[in-house]
Parts: sequence; structure tokens; C-alpha cells
Amino acid sequence: MTLTPRLTLTPRRWCAGALPSTVVIDGGPALALRGLVKNFDGVLAVNGVDLDVPAGSFFGLLGPNGAGKTTSLSMAVGLLRPTQGRAYVLGHDVWADPIRAKRLLGVLPDGVRMFDRLSGPELLAYQGLLRGMPADVIDQRARELLDVFGLADAGRTLVVDYSAGMKKKIGLACALLHAPRVLVLDEPFEAVDPVSGATIRDILGRYVAGGGTVIFSSHVLELVERLCTHVAILAEGRIKAVGTLDEVRGSRNLEDVFVETVGGRVATGEELSWL
Amino acid sequence: MAVTAGPAPAPGPAAPGPVAAPARLRPVRIRYFVRLKLRLIANGLRGQGVRVLGFVFSVTMGVLLAFSGFIWFLIGGELPRADEGMVTAAFTGAALLLGWLLLPLLFFGVDETLDPARFALLPLPRRTLAVGMLAAACVGIPGIATALALVGAVVAAGTRAGPAGALVGLAGAALSLLLCVVASRALTSAFAAMLRSRRVRDLTAVLLALVAASVGPIQFFASSLALHTSFASMLRTVRILGWTPLSAGFVAPYDLVHGRPLLAVARLAIVAASVLALLWWWSRTLESAMLGGSSSAPAAAGPARGGVVTALVPAALRAARAGTFLGLVARELRYWSRDPRRRAGLISAVIGGAAVPLGLQVANRGPGHLSLPMTLAIPALIGAVLIGNQFGYDGTAFSMHLLAGIRGRTELRARAAALSLILLPILLVLAVVVAVLTHDASGLVPAVGTISGMFGTVLGIESVLSIFAAYPMPESTNAFSISSGTGGAKAVVALAGMIGAAAAAAPVLILSAFLSGGLATLVAPIGAAYGLAAVLIGTYIGGDILERRGPELLVAVTPRR
Repeated sequence: MTLTPRLTLTPRRWCAGALPSTVVIDGGPALALRGLVKNFDGVLAVNGVDLDVPAGSFFGLLGPNGAGKTTSLSMAVGLLRPTQGRAYVLGHDVWADPIRAKRLLGVLPDGVRMFDRLSGPELLAYQGLLRGMPADVIDQRARELLDVFGLADAGRTLVVDYSAGMKKKIGLACALLHAPRVLVLDEPFEAVDPVSGATIRDILGRYVAGGGTVIFSSHVLELVERLCTHVAILAEGRIKAVGTLDEVRGSRNLEDVFVETVGGRVATGEELSWL
Repeated sequence: MAVTAGPAPAPGPAAPGPVAAPARLRPVRIRYFVRLKLRLIANGLRGQGVRVLGFVFSVTMGVLLAFSGFIWFLIGGELPRADEGMVTAAFTGAALLLGWLLLPLLFFGVDETLDPARFALLPLPRRTLAVGMLAAACVGIPGIATALALVGAVVAAGTRAGPAGALVGLAGAALSLLLCVVASRALTSAFAAMLRSRRVRDLTAVLLALVAASVGPIQFFASSLALHTSFASMLRTVRILGWTPLSAGFVAPYDLVHGRPLLAVARLAIVAASVLALLWWWSRTLESAMLGGSSSAPAAAGPARGGVVTALVPAALRAARAGTFLGLVARELRYWSRDPRRRAGLISAVIGGAAVPLGLQVANRGPGHLSLPMTLAIPALIGAVLIGNQFGYDGTAFSMHLLAGIRGRTELRARAAALSLILLPILLVLAVVVAVLTHDASGLVPAVGTISGMFGTVLGIESVLSIFAAYPMPESTNAFSISSGTGGAKAVVALAGMIGAAAAAAPVLILSAFLSGGLATLVAPIGAAYGLAAVLIGTYIGGDILERRGPELLVAVTPRR
């Protein structure tokens, strides 16, 4: 493998030889959810989610707070057992054939801790070893990732002492390390400063251009509108709208469509008159 | 992470703004805090079998302690001489207060059901908050148990000095209860205020673990001292102790017996003044506790040199083949030294474990004492129990293992291997030290067998148990805090695991008891093989369960917010 000065995160390059060639199913969705239901002690958090994330798409999952975004994504990647339904990553059932599916997946979960008493480089090394990667490959990729995310200067600072934005970045670096085919990112832009946000957008854009698939959840509609090729709107545990960006928003802007779809309300001016 | 943002709103003139007519606000009443606490306890138990079990355990312990305290106070009232009664009451009272001060820090953790930080953004006057938190702190198993025990003191005071005595006793008991609660709260929130930076916090965790682990040996020493102390010197101690807040509330009724009511009032005033002083100090520290910890550690020097893999893997293991197993072992080793919870547990286990054979073998060499191999099995047991909540230590970070889809067997074996790498050398050194101190070199070789047999058996059993009985640790800034209601569950799991594992290791222990002379040497290879087999079987069974139950385990170790 030749050393390039710039990080070019094309899955094709990193995956060459590293993955069995049989797994790529041309034309099939990168991530498919079929009738996912999650019932938390009688509360239906997710109520029948069907979703196809086309391979090579930059997919935005939108939804208000409590819509079930994190729950759906957790079930899709194998962190939370669904009450009903199935999830497939490039044709592999996440719950029946987890090893295959998880090898293809890179995940940035939201609201979970990392092994944060390791330093950034140690955490990446750990992730690489867990994934069974050779030591020299881990070293080289980790160095590139730390450079490109601007984390190399943090040195031996433990992740627990990182700022919120740095934690997001090291989490993303961990998700990218094994060059997954599909990236599932829960709120990747939260708490990230604009400069780092631009870096992340840039990296993800190149990743998709190189044939990878990204699905991420967000509240930030402008960002989704700028980045995504496809969007889905999740509310009350169901998919309310799905399609390419243009299909979903039509001639209007995404925010209006979102508020209308979710059933939000617009302040009339009558309420809160005591303010 | 429980980092609260922003300072509490400063009391003072309201900021100018588009405020039309401020609504009339009702003052915040103390009973809201009490009801909140009760509601939080009840919600904590809802639909959680293990927690209910733990709660029942805590209640049982509370009742037992309340009863024994009650009896001790009552005995003080029934003893023939008033002096004896006074000494009993003074020491029982002092022990009660010391227990309130030390136990939360050392063993049970600080109940963070009502964390001052959660009130940071409410515009509560400091006094209301302090009094409310105090009232809420009284409501709970320790508070109620103490109150019940103190009934004994009131009854005893009544039998000594009639109705007036009962009245003074009641005032003394009530003030002392308040003192217990305020002192314990003040101490813990002072700690919270002190432990601003993560580094200081981690260091303090270790120091406290050292103190905690030394309690056993010190107690040993103190009790032997007490056996050789005369009543006269105890009485002298009480004369001094009776003027400190520790015992003043309990000695006061005896002033009536001696016909000096003014002294009784003075003693009660001492306790009351202490309560007020502590309350004032506590309400000061509350404010800084509300601001939460800021973890602005100095940036560690320079970028790391060399490869990232060599940064993670300790030098001694670098020759090993890179892979999942090595990564897990390396990370576990780092965590046993870096995670303050684990480090505190490790230190307590090593010191507490070492105290047992040293105490039994060195101090007590009478007939019928346990043999060297037997006593050394006990620290092995204490050490191996550390993995009982190995997944709870990791918390939601365990999701990384789940996402990487690693084999359950590999994971459990790596975790067991890491703890063995740390503890087995320590246990062997301990065995040599005890053997040298007792001039019992013949016991050393069989001791290797009992240590490895016991250690391996417990590791094997706890590997399986740790999957089923994992409980969350709060992702809190305080290394000593526990989630409300898990204290008891923790004890139940640890106890059940210990008993089961000790029983499973019995064949090795029995063998070491019956083989003597040259045959005793056989205990070493047999014990080692037995222990190794137990680890392999336990992790084999546990590995399959772990792979099946991974997501459920993640839910079990996720702290409830």
C-alpha cells in the first residue's frame, strides 16, 4: 500500500483484499429495515419502520425529539434487539448473521460512552485490534485519521478529557478505521464546531463519492438539505416521508415539509402573551 | 455525563426584560423534597426484579442495624451503675455518628438520588435547598434505621432520669440524628467540591480505597486494645467525649441523674450549634457542588510517538500476536490501572485480601488454626470476585464490543487473563511473605495449588454470573456514587457468587487438607489444572451466553437517566 499525503477515504482502496468479495450485492440496498418495532414495557418507541437506504446514497434521517431515530438506528446496527422486524446490511441479516453484517458496518452511536480512559491513539488501536486488523494497517490508518481530524496534537490526553466535539471526532474516526461499506452515524454533527463540521462533511462526501453509503440522523435541516441525496422523515415511530431529497421536498423548502409532515404547529401569536 | 452547565441564577434584582406581571409564586415547601425523594425511590424499584431484591436486602440490613443499636442503647439504661450506662450510651452514639461519616464514603457510596447539581437551574434560595435536601436525606433506609435505634436512647434516658430525662433524651436523640445526616451530607458534598478535576478525583479514589481497606486491620488492632482497657480509663474518655458533638446528646440525660440540669442544656446546645454550623458550611459547599465538576486537565505532553498499537499494548505483551485477544487484554490492563472504580476495587481487594492470611497466620497460631494453603485461598477468592460486575464497569462503552461483533469466549477469556496477569503474581508474593513470616515453607507449594484452584474457579463462575447479574454504575463525577437501590443488589450478587464459587473450589481445598508430606506437593499441579479447567469451562459456557445476550447486557449496564 502506498502512502499518500492526503487521506482519501475511498472504501474501495481500503477494502481491497480485506473483505470477501461476495458480500457486495449490486443494486440491492445498503441498509434495509423491514417492519422494525420496539416496545419498551408497553411504550411503542418504534412502530413498524420500513426503510431502504440505496447503496451509494447520502441518507439523512430526520425526526423530532423522541421520534425513535436513535432506537431505530440502534436496532439496525445490532445494539438493541427489536421486538419485531429485521435489518439487513448489504443483504446480511444483522440479527441472524451478525458477524458478516457488522464487518461491513461502521457506527457512531449517540449517547454511549467510549472506552474513554484510553487516549485517542490507544482507542483507535483498540478498535483496530478488536476488528482483527493487522498492526501495521492500524498504525497507518490511525495516524491518517488523527491528522485529518486534527486530533494528533491531543497526544496522550485521555478521551474522557476531550471536549464534546473532539469526542465526536474520535468516535467517527473509530467508525471509519476498518473501512466499512456502510456508515451509520447518530447525530454526527452535534457539538462539533464549524471547522470540524466542514472537515467531517468533506470526508463523508468523499466517502460517498468513493462508493460508500452514509446514513445519519440529524435535527439540522439546512445541513441535511445541503448534504443528502435521500431523506426520510421519522415521527411517532413511523416513517412519514421517504425518497430522494427532491421527491420529499418538491418545490418547497425542507423545513416547511418537515414541520407539516411531523404535524408541528406554528405560533399564532395568541399564546404566551404574558411574556 | 452529569456535567451541569452554567451557574445557578444569582439571587438579586431581576434582569430587566419584557416581563409583564410576574405571577405570584408559592414558596417551595420542604415536603416537596421529601415527596420527590420517595417518588424517586419508588420509581427506581419499578419493574426491576433485582433492584427490588436489593431493596429488600437493604431494608433487612437496616432493620438489623436499627435493632442492634436499639438494644445497645437499651442496655445502657439497664446496667446497674449509671456510669456504665453513660459509657455505653456515649460510645454507641459516637459509633453511630462515625458510621454515618465514613460508611457512605467507604462502602455504600453516596446516594445521589437527590443530586444537588440537578437543582442548579432552579431559583431556590440556598436555605430552602439545604433544608429540603436535609429533610430528603433523613427519608431513606439509613435515616429511618437510625431514628429507630435512637428510640432506644430515649427509653434508656427515661428509665434513668424519669420523664425529664426522656425529654432531654428525645432532644438529644433528635439533634444527634440531624447531626448524623448533616455531617454525612456536608462531608460528601465537600468532597464533591474538592474533587473538581478528574485527576484529583482519581487520586482521591485511590487514597480512600486505601483507607477503606485499612479499616479491617485497624479494627483488629483497636479491638485487641479495647480488651486491655480498664473501665476507669473508658470513663475518662467519655468525660471528654461527652463534651464533643459526637456523644454530647447521649450523655446529657446522665447530667439529670447527677442533678446538674444546666450541664444537660449546655451539652444539647453543643450538638445544636454543631448542627447549625455544619448546615451553614454545607449550604456553602452546596453551591459549588451544584456547579459540577470541570475537567480541564492539562494537555498531556506532546503527540504520541511510535505506532498506536504499541501505545496501547504494554511493553511486556508486545511480543504477542496482534489480534482481538491481545487488544482486549491490553485494554483491560489499562483500565485496571486507569479507571478509578476498578483501581479502588483492586486496591481494596489486595489490601483486604492480604490482611486475612497475615492476620490469621501471624497473629493467631494456636491449635486448630487454618493451614497456610487454606488461608491463602481466601485472598484468591476476594481477588477473583472483582470481575463480578466487569461489564458494569464498562457501562455503555461495551457497545463497542457489540458493534465489532467479537466472540464471547474471546472476550471473557481476555478479561480473565488480564486480571490473572495482575493478581496471580501478587498472590504468589503474598504466599511467600506469609510462609516466611510463619516459618512454614512446607505449606508454600500446596498453597500455589489452592490459590490457583480457587482463583480459577471463581473466575470461571463469575464470568458466567457477570453476564446475568450486571448492574449499571452511574456515569457520574463521583467515583463513590452508586445508583439508588443498587447497593443491596451488588451485595447479593457478590455474596451469592462468592459462596457458589467457594463451594465449587472445595475439592482442591479438601485435597490440600488431607494430603500431607510429599504428597501435598501434588496439590499444586492439581489445583492449577482444576482452576484452569474451571476458567475454560466457565468462559466457554459464558461465551455462548454472552453472544446471545449481548444487547440485553448492554441494556442492563446502561445507567438509567
